[in-house]
Amino acid sequence: MEKHKKQPRVKVLLSKSKMDVHDRGVRYLARRMLESGMEVVLSRHGLIDEVANIALQEDADVIGLSFSVGGHIAACERLQRLLKEKGIDDKLVIVGGIIPDDDVPTLNKLNIAGVFGAGSSADEAISFIKSSLSPN
Amino acid sequence: MFDEKTKNQEQKLKTGFDAQMKKRYGDRDFNLKTDGGIPINPVYSPGDIEDLDFAHIGFPGQYPYTRGIYPTMYQAQPWVMQQIHGHGTPEHCRERMDYLAKLGLTGYGEMRSYNLVFDQVCKFGYDPDNPEAGDMVGLVGVNMSNLDDYDRLLHGLDLAKTSVVLNQGIHSMIALAYYIVYGEQRGVPKEKLRGNTMNWLYKGWMSDLEMYPPNSAFMIMSNFIRWCSRNMPQWNTTNLVSYFAEEAGGTPVQEAGMAMAVGVALTKACIAAGCQPDEFLPRFGFQIALGMDIFEHVAKIRAMRRMWATINRERFGAKDSHSLQLRCHSQTSAVSLTAQQPFVNIIRSAYGALVGVLSGVNGMTINAYDEALGIPTDESLMLAIRTHQVALYETGVPNVTDPLAGSYYVEWLTEKIYREAWAYMEKIEELGGFQKCWETGWLREELANSAYQWRRRIDNGEKVVVGLNKLRSDVHRKTEIYKVDPEVKAICIRRIKEYRAKRGMEKERRQALDNLKTACEGVLDNHKADFMPALIECARSHSTVQEMCDVMKEVFGWGTVY
Repeated sequence: MEKHKKQPRVKVLLSKSKMDVHDRGVRYLARRMLESGMEVVLSRHGLIDEVANIALQEDADVIGLSFSVGGHIAACERLQRLLKEKGIDDKLVIVGGIIPDDDVPTLNKLNIAGVFGAGSSADEAISFIKSSLSPN
Repeated sequence: MFDEKTKNQEQKLKTGFDAQMKKRYGDRDFNLKTDGGIPINPVYSPGDIEDLDFAHIGFPGQYPYTRGIYPTMYQAQPWVMQQIHGHGTPEHCRERMDYLAKLGLTGYGEMRSYNLVFDQVCKFGYDPDNPEAGDMVGLVGVNMSNLDDYDRLLHGLDLAKTSVVLNQGIHSMIALAYYIVYGEQRGVPKEKLRGNTMNWLYKGWMSDLEMYPPNSAFMIMSNFIRWCSRNMPQWNTTNLVSYFAEEAGGTPVQEAGMAMAVGVALTKACIAAGCQPDEFLPRFGFQIALGMDIFEHVAKIRAMRRMWATINRERFGAKDSHSLQLRCHSQTSAVSLTAQQPFVNIIRSAYGALVGVLSGVNGMTINAYDEALGIPTDESLMLAIRTHQVALYETGVPNVTDPLAGSYYVEWLTEKIYREAWAYMEKIEELGGFQKCWETGWLREELANSAYQWRRRIDNGEKVVVGLNKLRSDVHRKTEIYKVDPEVKAICIRRIKEYRAKRGMEKERRQALDNLKTACEGVLDNHKADFMPALIECARSHSTVQEMCDVMKEVFGWGTVY
């Protein structure tokens, strides 16, 4: 069914801390992304460094991080630094889960392209990725 | 269930009712379903429950305990207000405990009950200075990484009159080892300590977190139960939690079926470890979800009580009535809470509390309204406690036990869920049993599919969630979000370093950790040893959480199943 597509499929790396059990949302998002034609790698990480490594190996276009128990600012800060070191800071990084509104400006400053907090729909995240990666 | 006279009357009246419906709505199908997807009718009558056996309903305090486990329920003993909480350092957590006590938190009789949740760092077996701890120290639970922390948390409390839930997740046995040593220091022997441990190592099937592998998990759980049953008769060893199954997407039928399948698997494991059912079953408890569909969840809890009693008597030959009684801690639905218009969550949780009281649960956590945003503030926690208290003192619901008994609908639904959940449990057994379904990921896929369908129904508007996909508000009121003291991590790291530097007992500790390794190997060798005495010696000789967990992880294995 993908034959008629000219462009390669968008590849998304979704990851969540292996100490955070709340994976209902991210797993739903992964399934919706697959249904919308994206390629999805769903991973669990210990240190955020693991995400940077997988992003490099998998050559993902998008990195999506899910946080439900906090710690997102420090993790995003470190991830962006690592991506830069590896020369792959062109990735679209998005964040979702339980993200307080007050933290959004800080995340934006950290070059997080989109923040999809509680109440966001999977479709919003998918449309955002599609429009952000579209050449136009 | 009904005599001829009633049946004849019903038939006559129903003919009239059907004609009325036909006249008003023609052949319209209202297409009604419970939230869990069970097709239902707009009205129920005696005909729907005429085949039920009154012996399956009976009176409260009678086998099969459908209506409640005691002859009198809240008239004699209100439910335990078991608000789960924990964050920061032990001092932060203690401040909350004292605050809750001041708000009138009650437990069984004169006991005061504290439902303490530890942080992810100690739950997964790390000390706070381990890089793996990241920024999770004290974030959504209290950091308790060494013996000194127990005095910081519990000093001055009368331990013999305090019941503590030690929610260190899969590592709650370590919390108990510390608590036993701390009790000794305070002059309270382990036989007098009250409370419960999670012992829910089977929980790995719900997600892909790091965990002890299934086979080890059952060996650890059953070994722990055997030791506690024989050494701490008042201690509630195990929490058969099905709340998480519901929170991860499970329907009430799935939740009930999975809970029973876990109970069966664990009971078998304990028998294999050499225990008699009546030795350990009385100290099992459940943690059940109080979801949004009020009658479906009441029916589920009634059905689960009947299932548990039936399984333990018929399959395992348990005789002690305590082995047959499903003691039920419960928690209002967290997955129903929305970040939008968060005050609406107060209403949702109050309905959840109504489910609990109507079901005759023995303990209840009512979620605070801001839990879709963070951990509760003092104010939201106060409102959660007040929700308990209004239900208890003002609504009149607790006056009569199992007040929905005899409702045509609720009795029909209870029977329906009982049968479907029983069939679901049997399906799990046909697929090789609970452990096998954990290993193959079947259980997890079942939940993921239900979660997917639930969310699709919201996304396409079939299911309305007020303020989320309908009735949104343009008024954005700022909600205060609780912020954990940013110094927590630094304090905990400083303390653990000081603790290691000053603790002494090097030789004893090395010996204790070696003994723990041998004991764990003995557990895997068909329960030739108990690991708890070894863990207690480790706690006594000032081992940290991570030092103990490292040994256990090494022997039992550690990683993700999926």
